[in-house]
Amino acid sequence: MLLVLSDEHKEHLGFLSEVDTVVVGEFGRIAVEFLKKGSNAKIYEGAARKLNVPTHSVQYGVEGLMYLLTESSKLMISEVDFQDSVLALGFSEERNKLLLQLYLENRKEIRNILSELGPALPCYHNLEWRLDVQLASRTLRQQVKPTLSLKLHLESGGIRSARVLQTDPATLLHLVQELERALAEVKSNHCRRILRNIK
Amino acid sequence: MELSDSVAKGLQTLADPAYLGLHHFTALIEVAFRSLLSSRADGVFDHPDLKIIDQALLKHCHVAATTFILEAVKQNADKSTISSCLEEVKFDTERSDAFYTAYQKNKTSLENLLSSIDGCPPHVTDASWRLDYCIKNGHVHKVNQPSYLISFSTQNGENGATSSEVNFSCTLEQLQDLVAKLKDAGKTMERASQL
Repeated sequence: MLLVLSDEHKEHLGFLSEVDTVVVGEFGRIAVEFLKKGSNAKIYEGAARKLNVPTHSVQYGVEGLMYLLTESSKLMISEVDFQDSVLALGFSEERNKLLLQLYLENRKEIRNILSELGPALPCYHNLEWRLDVQLASRTLRQQVKPTLSLKLHLESGGIRSARVLQTDPATLLHLVQELERALAEVKSNHCRRILRNIK
Repeated sequence: MELSDSVAKGLQTLADPAYLGLHHFTALIEVAFRSLLSSRADGVFDHPDLKIIDQALLKHCHVAATTFILEAVKQNADKSTISSCLEEVKFDTERSDAFYTAYQKNKTSLENLLSSIDGCPPHVTDASWRLDYCIKNGHVHKVNQPSYLISFSTQNGENGATSSEVNFSCTLEQLQDLVAKLKDAGKTMERASQL
């Protein structure tokens, strides 16, 4: 699958053919950094002053790289397809290689960042448990009531939260049984066939 | 068991054949147990056998009986404690035995009821799950990862007054981790029960 670059995108990246390859490398580093931590306008200004070019050229250049990286990571295009896609930019071979390296090195991390943007429920982070035996309460003395206190840590959009729950021995065994069935299901013929065929 | 004057007086009235015949006594005790165990049970005033008794008196006796029952269950009182207590409020053996029979019959249900009254965290009663295979979303294509949606059903408060769900997703590895921890807890529980 080839990446189709819009004329505007090509124009923005075109700036990179006018500067030194070292600068291209540096722009690549900045683009990846911004994808991880968010962009910072001051860096554009600083770089523009050093190179003696308008600020927006630097900004378009870096943003163009960010878009190139996110789109190719999103589609998970292959090494060959990436090379063929950037040919349309008309860069030197050295620059193309630099871009390819940048893509391959950061693809995994960019995909991780992108996957956090998708809609998702709070996801499991950790489970702590404690075995208690309730011996008495205000309403009833002389009890022997085993309970399992559970602290379920969940994570949603980088924010962790914890839910305190409890359960009884019989239900606990039932929970384990039911969730083991869930685990076994992924190894079933049906699931394996689907997993094998969607690649 | 310590009883307040009002409860002791109510029980004395219950014991007195001049106010309540044995037939009415048994009916009242039965209603008292039933009213504690079921919120929908008919009140003491609706019982056909008890209609002829003075309502204020009936109310006093009912309150005394229920208070005594709850206190006895709470303390896990045995037969001798109950008999000696009832003797003090002038119960004869016949009434005392009738009370004890009803007490034994309902004790376990009442214990369950009383032990469910406390400010405990939501109680997990069941788990349901769904296995998904994520193919792509708006931001990433070719995700191709199995993922589970787990839903714990929980009940809150006495008799499962409010039920809700805790929903979360997890990867295969995360579910394995969760199951391993629950299994570990199960084993610990089993070992503890054998002590």
